[in-house]
Amino acid sequence: MKERGKIFLLVLIGAFIGSNLRYLESLIFKSASGFPLGTLVANLTGAFFLPFLIHYLQDRYNLSSRVILTLSTGLLGSYTTFSTFTADSYRLYQSGNWMFLILYLTMTILGGFIVAILGNYLAASRAFSDYVKRERVK
Amino acid sequence: MNFLIVGLGASLGAILRNELTFLQSKIKIDFPIITLLINIFGALLLGIFTAQIHNGALLLLLGTGFCGGFTTFGTLNMELSQLWFQRRFVRCFLYFSLTYIFGILGFVIGIQI
Repeated sequence: MKERGKIFLLVLIGAFIGSNLRYLESLIFKSASGFPLGTLVANLTGAFFLPFLIHYLQDRYNLSSRVILTLSTGLLGSYTTFSTFTADSYRLYQSGNWMFLILYLTMTILGGFIVAILGNYLAASRAFSDYVKRERVK
Repeated sequence: MNFLIVGLGASLGAILRNELTFLQSKIKIDFPIITLLINIFGALLLGIFTAQIHNGALLLLLGTGFCGGFTTFGTLNMELSQLWFQRRFVRCFLYFSLTYIFGILGFVIGIQI
């Protein structure tokens, strides 16, 4: 029961920070044009960092499962959002701004997938170059 | 004050998401069905909240906060990229299509009921 309380607290801390970073970006990138740049920036950066965290930073800095829970499930999980993406898309559809709608859908859907693939590649490449450096020292 | 509201809502959403994610290891389906259901249900819920709630602070708590923190875009793409690297392309495409089609449909249904 005590362990469960700790898990709640760690996810809470991560989610508190992550969601407010996203909220802050939605305020910073708010534009008169109505393009949801804030959500897009949060989603793409978050989708890039999550595989990099799990497949590189975790091993590189020996991060404990608690730190990972806070940063992945809590922070990056709440920093990125799927529901706001659907709301933004619906709003662009309603406003009849097809250019923005297609741009937003493409950049989120394809962009999110591509940056996640890139995050994995960067993680693998950094892990490999660390390995090469270690071998040289030996 | 707004930061506290968003953070509180998102924390509840994330804790609920974390609890549900544990179910993935318990069920014997080799498909990220929990994240799929979380994202579809979260989008439906946001649609309902957007249509029904007219109080700005409450919408910030439940919409930007709770639904935003409950649903996740990072995990979705992490799982998609994993399926891609495992060369399970059919599963990858299925997960991709189901999420976006039913996610957007969920919001549209939510805002109209």
